[in-house]
Amino acid sequence: MSTLNPPLTSGFWERSRHSFVSMMKRDGFGLLALVVLGLVILGPLYSVVLWAFAERWKYPSLVPTQFGFSFWSETFSRADIVAALPFSIVLALTVTLLSAIICLPASYAFARMRFRGRQLLLLSFLATNAFPRFGLYVSIAVIFFRLNLIGTVPGVILIQLVNTLLLMIWIPTAAFQGVDRSLEEAALDVGASQLRVFIQITLPMVMPALSAAVLLTFVNTFYEAQGALIIGLPRVVTMPVLMYSLINSQLVTQYGAIVSFVLWLPSLLLLLVAQRLLRGGYLTAGFGV
Amino acid sequence: MGSLPFSIIFIRHHNNSIIFMTTLPTPVANGRSPRRWFRGSLLPYIMIAPPLLLMTLLIFLPALQSIIRTLIVDADGQTGFSFSRYIAFFNDKISVSNLIFTFQIVLLTLATIFLVCFPLSLYLRFAKGRIAGAVQILVLFPLFVPGIILCYALIRFLGTRGTLETILSIVGITGYRTPYLKPEAIVIGLVWESIPFTVLVLTAGLGQISDSLIECARDVGAGNWTIFRRIILPLIIRPLLIAFSLNFLGIFGAYTVPYLLGPAAPQMMGVYMQQTFGQYRRPDDAETQAVITFLICSMVGLLYVRTVAKQRIQQEESE
Repeated sequence: MSTLNPPLTSGFWERSRHSFVSMMKRDGFGLLALVVLGLVILGPLYSVVLWAFAERWKYPSLVPTQFGFSFWSETFSRADIVAALPFSIVLALTVTLLSAIICLPASYAFARMRFRGRQLLLLSFLATNAFPRFGLYVSIAVIFFRLNLIGTVPGVILIQLVNTLLLMIWIPTAAFQGVDRSLEEAALDVGASQLRVFIQITLPMVMPALSAAVLLTFVNTFYEAQGALIIGLPRVVTMPVLMYSLINSQLVTQYGAIVSFVLWLPSLLLLLVAQRLLRGGYLTAGFGV
Repeated sequence: MGSLPFSIIFIRHHNNSIIFMTTLPTPVANGRSPRRWFRGSLLPYIMIAPPLLLMTLLIFLPALQSIIRTLIVDADGQTGFSFSRYIAFFNDKISVSNLIFTFQIVLLTLATIFLVCFPLSLYLRFAKGRIAGAVQILVLFPLFVPGIILCYALIRFLGTRGTLETILSIVGITGYRTPYLKPEAIVIGLVWESIPFTVLVLTAGLGQISDSLIECARDVGAGNWTIFRRIILPLIIRPLLIAFSLNFLGIFGAYTVPYLLGPAAPQMMGVYMQQTFGQYRRPDDAETQAVITFLICSMVGLLYVRTVAKQRIQQEESE
């Protein structure tokens, strides 16, 4: 009887239990993956975000014992942090701009011009990925050491610039290749100048990919820590490099948590446009795939 | 154009203007105007020169120079070719144990990555619905967490009295022993970082396999295993190789995760090199260590370049 006419009070529970069981049967692996990944991937970030807003957090409590902001003013009155944050932003912007200036014309040439060795030269940029990264940095550092570039801003800019090459060339090259030539030819036929065709037709079509490349480059550079560490120290200290000492000294847990939280904000920006990047397939292009 | 596309470009600053001089024969002789010749043959090379130069100066040159410098040794005022730096490396117990440790971490991490990512990629390729969507978001999430923040987060999560221990104690499980500062923590951190890239590459490969192809195979009586081995595997061998080689290189050249999460000894090569260069101020020894990582990774690096190159050339031909 009750299966035909379930009592109203348990209706919702029964139904949701039923849908859960059927979901489990249909997609057991997915559900398992969801739970495990949720714990393993979101768990660590949960800790950081809550630590950033905790006054006190006594074990074994799942949430901070007392929330508060008092560590925020303390963190941002530290001289090293106050100096490093704007410097890191300016540095990342500079590297991104320089990268765009030297790479975008190159990517246009790779995509639209025919010349000997084109394919080989384009593929040669894969070399930036084909070395064990830290070994390469040491190799560069030995040269910079003799050129007195260790601990200087130009040294850090150069090493970070190398990291951006593959992404800033391959993504725009793919975009320029994807442009429908017939539209450009039509505009040329009706008498538009080449410059005008480029600005009014080509550029708008490649703009999503170009902005994706620029954004990825900025975020990657902003977080780049290893090259900046080996080339920049002791005089040039970026925000991610500062994190090493904040983690190692561990005087106050909240310092590291608050800096992590603030550092993470640009990445959240990237997260917001990620859907578009994914659809365009640009994320994998950045890996040289 | 019979000769080389361009041989030498002299760039001179003269009265604040830049003059290009080439050793090429006069292009008018070929029946093309100088302007067209410039745009057709020279301009592309000028456009790609800056990034190419930068890469040559900062990747090929340092690597080559390191290899040469470590093979030429000053002994008793005489310079000569010698393997003595490498012999010293392999006679040093700490160096050898660090190299072996690096290998162990690489193998263990790679195995874990594929054990985790392969089922996830298969699932994401063939499953539909809300759960699959949520799984996809979680899988891609680490892409948006920079390495240094991940390390800090994992310390807070895995460390003694961290979030994981708290959760376990609430469930009633006691006796948690933290992996922090042990080799296991390095593996956890590196796997965490590699999941999105690996799944992206593998699902992109699996995406090329059409549903109809699999249905056809099923219609003629192929089982799941046969479909996997005969249809899926051959089609994704290239993505697998790319994921393998890039992960291998990434783990071998890792620094942040092993430095912040791993033990003080043994160390992975990245940490060891930084210590030799930065703390002990022995750039020569650091350079030897770097070249040893180059040589070990060279085969994998070539595999990566070759696989991507083949894929790209095939793509261009099909377009």
